[in-house]
Amino acid sequence: MLNLLKIEFKKIIPYTTFWVIFGLVFALIPVVFYGIGQFELQGAPIDMKNTYRFPGVWNNLTYLASWFNLLIGMVIVILVCNEFSFKTFRQHVIDGQSKSDFVISKILLMVCMALFSTIYLLIIGALFGLATTDSNVSFTENIHFVGIYFIQALGYMSVALIIATLIRSTALSIIIFMLSILIESIIQAFVPGNIEKYFPMEIIANLTPNPLISNMMPDPSQLPPGAQIPPMFESIPLSTTVIVACVYILVIWGVTYFMLTKKDIK
Amino acid sequence: MTAILNINGISKSYKKVKALNNLSLQINQGEVYGILGPNGSGKTTTLGIILDVLKPDSGNYSWFGNSPNKESRKKIGSLLETPNFYPYLTARQNLSLVCKIKQVEESEVDRVLTVVNLIERANSKFKTFSLGMKQRLALGSALLGNPDVLVLDEPTNGLDPQGIAEVRTIIKGLAAQGKTIIMASHILDEVEKICSHVAVLKQGNLLTFGPIQAVLNKQEQVYVAADDMEMLKLVLAQIEGVSNIKPSTSKVYLLLEQGKDSAYLNKALFEKGIIATELGMQKSDLEANFLALVN
Repeated sequence: MLNLLKIEFKKIIPYTTFWVIFGLVFALIPVVFYGIGQFELQGAPIDMKNTYRFPGVWNNLTYLASWFNLLIGMVIVILVCNEFSFKTFRQHVIDGQSKSDFVISKILLMVCMALFSTIYLLIIGALFGLATTDSNVSFTENIHFVGIYFIQALGYMSVALIIATLIRSTALSIIIFMLSILIESIIQAFVPGNIEKYFPMEIIANLTPNPLISNMMPDPSQLPPGAQIPPMFESIPLSTTVIVACVYILVIWGVTYFMLTKKDIK
Repeated sequence: MTAILNINGISKSYKKVKALNNLSLQINQGEVYGILGPNGSGKTTTLGIILDVLKPDSGNYSWFGNSPNKESRKKIGSLLETPNFYPYLTARQNLSLVCKIKQVEESEVDRVLTVVNLIERANSKFKTFSLGMKQRLALGSALLGNPDVLVLDEPTNGLDPQGIAEVRTIIKGLAAQGKTIIMASHILDEVEKICSHVAVLKQGNLLTFGPIQAVLNKQEQVYVAADDMEMLKLVLAQIEGVSNIKPSTSKVYLLLEQGKDSAYLNKALFEKGIIATELGMQKSDLEANFLALVN
């Protein structure tokens, strides 16, 4: 396992494209986050500095970072498609890797990248929070959003992995990956009832709920008896979303493995 | 003799095209085995199957007497079709990555780069290499860990004459060290110069196999001419040890049995009253033999 990860690092450490995209993501997250808190809402009684404060910071920051997860997914699309277009996947098998080693390597790499991003967000969030919050507010309240962000990063990258494995051409894979949310919503239009809320991209996106919307929604437990949230606004509990997302991720890994092992490597 | 590779009844089809039809072959330790055949005869398919990138429809194969696994592939140096490396990595970085896969010492990188004459370009990116250099790097990669078995698919493909000569020298050197080499080629000359054994494929069928002399009739031909050609032909037929008499316009070609040389023939002709005006040895026409076999 460790050897597989070392091989992956040998591929990406000298790879400029990787560092440019990753660097861009890591530079933009704190800059944009700072920018949001600087908005002055004319006449509104909202203090935008609240964006930075505990405990809201974890939800706010991870929601913002979730948009950049698409870029991190794109990195995986590029890295995986490279293995097919350079024919290095084939060469690795010839040189003595198994096809499952390939899938395991990529999963390990994705876990590392997700872990790295998560730790980065933890640091950024802590810095913003500590700089703006009064000392009596809990540092750890709502910090689970950061853990869920890790699952989301892994989720987007897993979708990227399967699209790249299926399509194999870098340009086409990037387009399909970027359009996957759109494609999914078109399919959702033809699906009846509540099932559409369990579609993979929707589930993964909902791991980091939009803080503005979730703040506006009343807590179901505090509704007066007999009152109901209209079905279209009813959302799946976050815990269910997390479980479904984890199942999706495992299924995607399994299908990717199956696709690679059953076919000839051209 | 230890069997290195055993292929038992392998067949493979691509949609409607039958690429390999029930191929069986045994390759023993120390043999330099050429797989010869025209383009599309199934050479690369065969190598792809024994290196586990292609799945056979039926049949099986074994390396070193065991069913195939990734550990056995680590002990085989392979060059299949095009050189496959990361264009943005240097030659050294690319080979060091292969070292990690094959689990061999990093010190191997500089050794093989020296062997294939690329040590001065070790820190250049792969994408800056010419086709010949890429091919040499791929050969170098196959040599990492000094494997006892090499699988080479058209190793001189894309090289200039000097490069071809260099690569052949390297391969001959490896053969002289007692390594087992399996080499696919459509260049007859190459196989003849390097290989001890040969298997000939055509449209996925194994036409013939065995030691190269036997398969391609590598025996030297003798040619002789005299003033009276008709008399010469008659007399030759009576001389012991002469076979395959083939008259052409100005000479008669023939084969001599083992242990008899041109001096023997000259003496025999003289005793029968014929004075040869021309007498010499000529290598058998491999190309003609090969084409006769394949067509």
